[in-house]
Amino acid sequence: MSLLITEKPKTETWSPTPLLDPKSLNLFFSPKDRLRLTVGAEYSYPTVKPAWASPLNYPGRYLSLLNGKGEEIVLIADPHDLLPAARDAVMEEVARRYLTSIIVRVLDARSEFGATYWHVETDRGFRDFVTQSLQENAQWLSPKHLMLIDVDGNRFELVDVTALDDGSRKHLTAIL
Amino acid sequence: MKPVELEPRNTESLFGPQEGVLIRLLADFADDGQFGKRTLEVTSQHLRILESSGAESTRIPIAAIRSARNEPLVGGGRLEVQLKAGEIVPIVSYSLTVAAKFSEAARGIEQLAKGEPLLINLKEERLRCVKCDRLLPEKDGICPACVNRGKTLLRILTFMGPYRWKAVSLAILSFVTTILSLAPPTIQGFLIDGVLKTHQNYSRLLLLMGCWLGVLVTNSIIQVLNGQTIAFLAGNIAADLRATVYRAIEFLQLTFFDKKQVGAIASRVTSDTDRIWGFLVEGVPYLLLNGLTVIGITAVLFYIKPVLAACILAPIPIVLGIGFLFWKPMSQMFHRVGQKWARFHTHLNESLSGIRVVKAFAKEDLEFGKFGQRNKELRDAGVQVDSRWYTIFGVMTFFTTLGNLIHWTVGGTMVYRGELTLGQFWQISAYLALAYGPLQWFSAVNQWFSRAMSGAERIFELIDMDTESYGDKEAHHDIVGEVAFSNVRFGYDKSNPVLKGLNFTAAPGEMIGLVGKSGAGKSTTINLVCRFYEPDAGTISIDGIDYRDISLQDMRNQIGIVLQEPFLFNGTIGENIAYGKPGATFEEVVRASRAANAHNFILSKPDGYDTMVGERGSKLSGGERQRVSIARAILHNPRILILDEATSSVDVETEKQIQEAISHLVKGRTTFAIAHRLSTLRNASRLVVLDKGEIAEIGTHEELMTKQGVFYNLVQTQTAINEIIGVGTT
Repeated sequence: MSLLITEKPKTETWSPTPLLDPKSLNLFFSPKDRLRLTVGAEYSYPTVKPAWASPLNYPGRYLSLLNGKGEEIVLIADPHDLLPAARDAVMEEVARRYLTSIIVRVLDARSEFGATYWHVETDRGFRDFVTQSLQENAQWLSPKHLMLIDVDGNRFELVDVTALDDGSRKHLTAIL
Repeated sequence: MKPVELEPRNTESLFGPQEGVLIRLLADFADDGQFGKRTLEVTSQHLRILESSGAESTRIPIAAIRSARNEPLVGGGRLEVQLKAGEIVPIVSYSLTVAAKFSEAARGIEQLAKGEPLLINLKEERLRCVKCDRLLPEKDGICPACVNRGKTLLRILTFMGPYRWKAVSLAILSFVTTILSLAPPTIQGFLIDGVLKTHQNYSRLLLLMGCWLGVLVTNSIIQVLNGQTIAFLAGNIAADLRATVYRAIEFLQLTFFDKKQVGAIASRVTSDTDRIWGFLVEGVPYLLLNGLTVIGITAVLFYIKPVLAACILAPIPIVLGIGFLFWKPMSQMFHRVGQKWARFHTHLNESLSGIRVVKAFAKEDLEFGKFGQRNKELRDAGVQVDSRWYTIFGVMTFFTTLGNLIHWTVGGTMVYRGELTLGQFWQISAYLALAYGPLQWFSAVNQWFSRAMSGAERIFELIDMDTESYGDKEAHHDIVGEVAFSNVRFGYDKSNPVLKGLNFTAAPGEMIGLVGKSGAGKSTTINLVCRFYEPDAGTISIDGIDYRDISLQDMRNQIGIVLQEPFLFNGTIGENIAYGKPGATFEEVVRASRAANAHNFILSKPDGYDTMVGERGSKLSGGERQRVSIARAILHNPRILILDEATSSVDVETEKQIQEAISHLVKGRTTFAIAHRLSTLRNASRLVVLDKGEIAEIGTHEELMTKQGVFYNLVQTQTAINEIIGVGTT
């Protein structure tokens, strides 16, 4: 495959969602750690950074591809519309860029002396963290969806608190 | 060079013996994205990554590296190096907990790659308590669980120091009132046995009633005195606490305010001080009075009839046990109701203050739906906590009244058998009523104490926090005006530097225009000049002296600032202008406002200089507020002047007046100016063009326009935009 290194010239008209056919987007790693995009056979973006446009309300949907300067190249409504190889490449980069964790089990949660100490199991393994001022740092994104932000700014998501096991829910009820 | 070691080594270095490890850091993500451990090791010749197994997974020669940086990711960061060949290589990912340290390490790698000495600050931070191994709420902070409560309590009691005699008298009065409250049941007992049962000694009845009256009157007087003492102590201690906390907050570093919401800080001044105050003036007397009462009653009961006393008091441990068992979950539930109330209030405030928008979009039903949801949450939480509370209270009441039942059963039998007089029986009944009431609340005292202690810890943490470094307060220096930046590096988030090695010198009286795109570091530069923050690396000197060696108060007294959104205090225009020079004469105020082109608009107000400006100056227009703030700066007569977008929020005519005022203001002062409209910096002596935290260009307006570089492009872009939206650039 021949790689073009020139980016698409700036367009005159402004479009809220750049209109590109997802099937025409070829995403791959070149060199091995840098995600690259070629659109058809016309132009190429040597550095591409994927960013979820609404990761909390529309998880897994609306993926924006940004160029090296942080400007949007295209907004993909559903990454499943990409070709399988392109999707695999972009999702690999997404996994590298999003270091947030999803809590699957609350093993212990204790509020003491103004701080809350959590011991949880996440999709990335076990983790201990501390939160302060739960009014600000335990954000209900919907009646079931909860986001905890620890004292360092790390984010832990509880996608559906009603789907947790009894023990986890008991801890959450006691704290929140 | 000493290695910067942050974690104990658990693997042998695979570098050669001559290669000492200079940086060693532990990352908290494994290669597969799971939480884990990977170690970054840097020597003068290599950089490498060790996996948790000890195996080396990456090794790059320092000589091959051009630059290194922390790439901010969502929820963490990634150390990346760019090789001289141009390739960018990701090295290791980590969470935000350690991101700042890796950012500093990136700087160190860059220094080594450039052959410079390693000058980074990677001090070891404690994440866990050394005593109990709990995670610390703040790195290197205190462990709330291991705080010495005895010491904290003693420190709280020092607030009583200035009023120690009042406190002692309160304790004595409490003791006396306890003794007196034990007297009536004894009098009643004597009355029943000595008069009512025998139908004799009527004069004794009158005598006993006289005693009772005496006790009542004395007790009432003491209680009035007690109340007055409590009120005195409450008011004074609360005021002292608030003043101490407020004073401590005033001198804290601005980084503290960046991290905390104003509401959260305010709550330390109000609710945390209230908790301590509540404990001191309500909790301590409550504990003192009721504790003494219960001890006194127990002693009297055992004195009268030990067997009966033991039977009657048997349910007491159960009552206390229930209290201790259920108080914590109950208080958590009450806390939850409090949170629901807060959510409810937030929504109510928001929808009422935004009522125009709600109506304009016809979203009354939507808002009512949200209101209904919050209201339901509040109702459910309230119902749950109340029903639980009444259940527990019911059980406690059962055990409380059980004491009475035992008394009537056992005591009644004793009276029947003649082992106990009727008077003693009655006396014990009366004591029981006095004893069981306070017992129900004793379990709350532990919670009360804990809340007060945690409030106290938060307050003391704030009082003990590092304040701004004020330097030697006596070290006065009359600023001439040379300001030199030497390799200045700074970031609000230490993992993400905003300024990356600034080098330039402003000569005395020079006007420096700071130019650049949004986020380039212009405002950060002036924040550093004002010493709101201090450089993470490098130095800023004033007249050749490192500005950290000049008294902060003295330095700020010689710096003036005019902001885009000037902040005026609620008061008169005259008071606001004189803020920078307390004690200024009226003539001086007028002179300053004339120079600021403010005098005429002030005179057009009915109350002239006595016009109240309202909260944050809301009764004045944007241009008027700006001119008042310029007059304030002129009167302050600073040697160094900061103009931060001073004319961006006003119309063209007002801007002209403000520009004129500014031209009076800058004369003879070293000035740093940021302006949205680049053309307004035409008069600047030199322009410093910033790009991503670095200096892209320096020169006069003409020089930079001729050069046709970054500044030229910015001007061209702005001219084009102004033409599109039909605004002239004059």
